[in-house]
Amino acid sequence: MDLTPNDEQIALQTATADWCSDHMPLVGARSRSAGLWQQLDTMGWTGMTAPEMGLDHATETLLFAELGRFLAPVALLSTAVAARWTGAAGKAALALPAQEHVRILDGVEASRALGAFGDGLACFPLAGQLSSTSSLDQSTPLARIVCPAEIEPVDDPRALLHLQLLTAAYAVGCADAARDMAADYAKLRQQFDRPIGWFQALKHLCSDMAVRAAVARSQLYYAACALDADDIDAAFHIAAAKRLADQAALDNGRANIQVHGGIGMTDEAHPHLCLKRAHLLQFIVPAETAALLAA
Amino acid sequence: MDIGSSPEEMRFREECREWLHANVPAEKRPLDAADAIDFDKAWQRRLFDAGWAGINWPTDYGGRGLSIVQQVIWLEEYAKAHAPWIGANFVGINHGGPTLILNASEEQKAYHLPRILKGEAIWCQGFSEPGAGSDLAGIKTRGRIEGDELVVNGSKIWTSFAHVADWQELVLRTEEGSLRHKGLSWVICDIHAPGITVRPIRKMSGLTEFAEVFYDDVRIPLANVVGGLGNGWKVAMSTLSFERGTGFIADQVKQSQEIEELIAKARANGMIKDDRIADQLAQMRAEVAAVRAMTYRNISEVVRTGQPGPEASVIRLFTSELGQRLERMAVLLMGEDIIDFAYGSDDAVGDYLRGFAATIAGGTAQIQRDIIGERLLGLPKSR
Ligand SMILES: Cc1cc2nc3c(=O)[nH]c(=O)nc-3n(C[C@H](O)[C@H](O)[C@H](O)COP(=O)(O)OP(=O)(O)OC[C@H]3O[C@@H](n4cnc5c(N)ncnc54)[C@H](O)[C@@H]3O)c2cc1C
Repeated sequence: MDLTPNDEQIALQTATADWCSDHMPLVGARSRSAGLWQQLDTMGWTGMTAPEMGLDHATETLLFAELGRFLAPVALLSTAVAARWTGAAGKAALALPAQEHVRILDGVEASRALGAFGDGLACFPLAGQLSSTSSLDQSTPLARIVCPAEIEPVDDPRALLHLQLLTAAYAVGCADAARDMAADYAKLRQQFDRPIGWFQALKHLCSDMAVRAAVARSQLYYAACALDADDIDAAFHIAAAKRLADQAALDNGRANIQVHGGIGMTDEAHPHLCLKRAHLLQFIVPAETAALLAA
Repeated sequence: MDIGSSPEEMRFREECREWLHANVPAEKRPLDAADAIDFDKAWQRRLFDAGWAGINWPTDYGGRGLSIVQQVIWLEEYAKAHAPWIGANFVGINHGGPTLILNASEEQKAYHLPRILKGEAIWCQGFSEPGAGSDLAGIKTRGRIEGDELVVNGSKIWTSFAHVADWQELVLRTEEGSLRHKGLSWVICDIHAPGITVRPIRKMSGLTEFAEVFYDDVRIPLANVVGGLGNGWKVAMSTLSFERGTGFIADQVKQSQEIEELIAKARANGMIKDDRIADQLAQMRAEVAAVRAMTYRNISEVVRTGQPGPEASVIRLFTSELGQRLERMAVLLMGEDIIDFAYGSDDAVGDYLRGFAATIAGGTAQIQRDIIGERLLGLPKSR
């Protein structure tokens, strides 16, 4: 048993974080350049989960948590899962089926979409260019299409678990980002002649953010290893990771705004970016109560 | 990262399981400390004789010298087998002994460690005072140096198992006029020494598990100082890190049993049909899983780097509050049967009442949050 990243994994993790902070800073998430996907593709981030790359799920979660920390495009999730389970390359948008239509997230220049339909994962081609508008999460373009007539199910049930796991990793990164933003601000901002982080009311808000992020990250690692080990409880552990990560991202998102005070709820400041991303992620393969209570 | 076990670890787990299966006492551990003391000592002796005491303690002092992962495996199997709570041996095994291993002289170790492992010596912890709880550096109990002795006057409070103990890890002020963290010493105090009075205190659950301790010109040899005169704060901090660090491993398995029992109970009485209850149960099941993951992550850190990460307080805070949520759910599922609780009985209500200790003892939840904010996030110190 070893739930700490090894040296090689840490090196990959650091390289990912470095690349992100240089090319995809969180502060730019509301207006990402049109060429970003191309850059991600050139650097190999879009294809890293293809079978021939040989990354295990444990390593993937480390990297996706870093990408998630910088609010990377959500199509990386669907593209990664498609690369692993359908063998297809190229951008796959993320599909969220609703009653009468399907929301297509991050579908710009995507030729296909992938999402959870019923209790399995499915893919379908996208016809032509979609006209996307902005969504609650300004880093994620949104389009709506009528339900496609033909969808191709991905046979392996692990594919859906994979999407749930990577989304949980994104949420853990999002929770981390909010925590760090709050702690940095609490050290800097002064009131009553001292940094606001000196006050326990604020310190404890921040400590609770640290606890939520640590709890979710631990479960994420365990879940990834359970999937790698084909553990019979893998589905439960991934659902648990998703539940805790979603909650950490949302609660940390809210707390971060509180820590920032008035500036925290302005458009020009960045805390709302994490909160809005958290709201989006909670709808991607949510952890159902029934899955968590299953025997 | 992986969650698998090596063949050696699997064999060890099997050994633990077999022994526990054959040896866990059929009779229940009495609840009150005074009634349980003989039971606690006998059980510790049995563990020692069979080689299960001090699994990762040095062999020189009666331990097995095995790895911390094996220690964890033992604790997991121990809890799964519903083996008795360690009871009055808690302090000696979980933090008195480990503090000695790290800080004591050869003579001190050679005398005390085997006695702790054999269950011959019961230890208690004399840190808190009426005016020094969360603010531990406010300690006033003093030890005046006279020749080769300390003459001790003052009082301690909330000392778990003091009325059944033999030895005490006592922190006192040995430098007159010293302030706060300076001038303190950590000493081994014979709790049967003349001048010591112990007054047991009853808890709201009806049990008598801790006590007030008064010192009136108590003489302690200077040779009993651990880690050097005036170094008490440093030694006490190592004690606290053990106290906050080890307990959660057994808690983790206990909590995973508790949540399964709660789910089964809610199914049986139909309350699981209430969506809010189902959702809370689902949430807690996820959280219990995460406690195990955190424990493994922390242990992996110890194995990799030789020391636990700064996350011990995170685990302590999270498990203590989660334990209380589980206990609250258990009484919620009981409905009005909670009214039938009789002082001192051993049921869900008893657990619920005793459980209030989890966010107080060993540093309150508020103090843990301070530690997390300051040491993990680097926020400015409030105290
Ligand atoms: C069951 C049990 C067993 C115990 N066993 C032992 C033992 O064996 N040996 C021993 O030495 N001690 C023992 N203790 C004592 C325990 O360590 C103290 O009770 C604890 O540290 C709190 O101190 P206090 O009781 O003086 O409360 P106080 O320090 O008076 O705290 C009262 C309240 O104020 C809050 N508070 C205090 N200071 C701050 C601050 N700076 N910021 C925010 N909030 C603050 C606390 O969180 C708490 O909510 C035990 C306690 C319990 C409940």
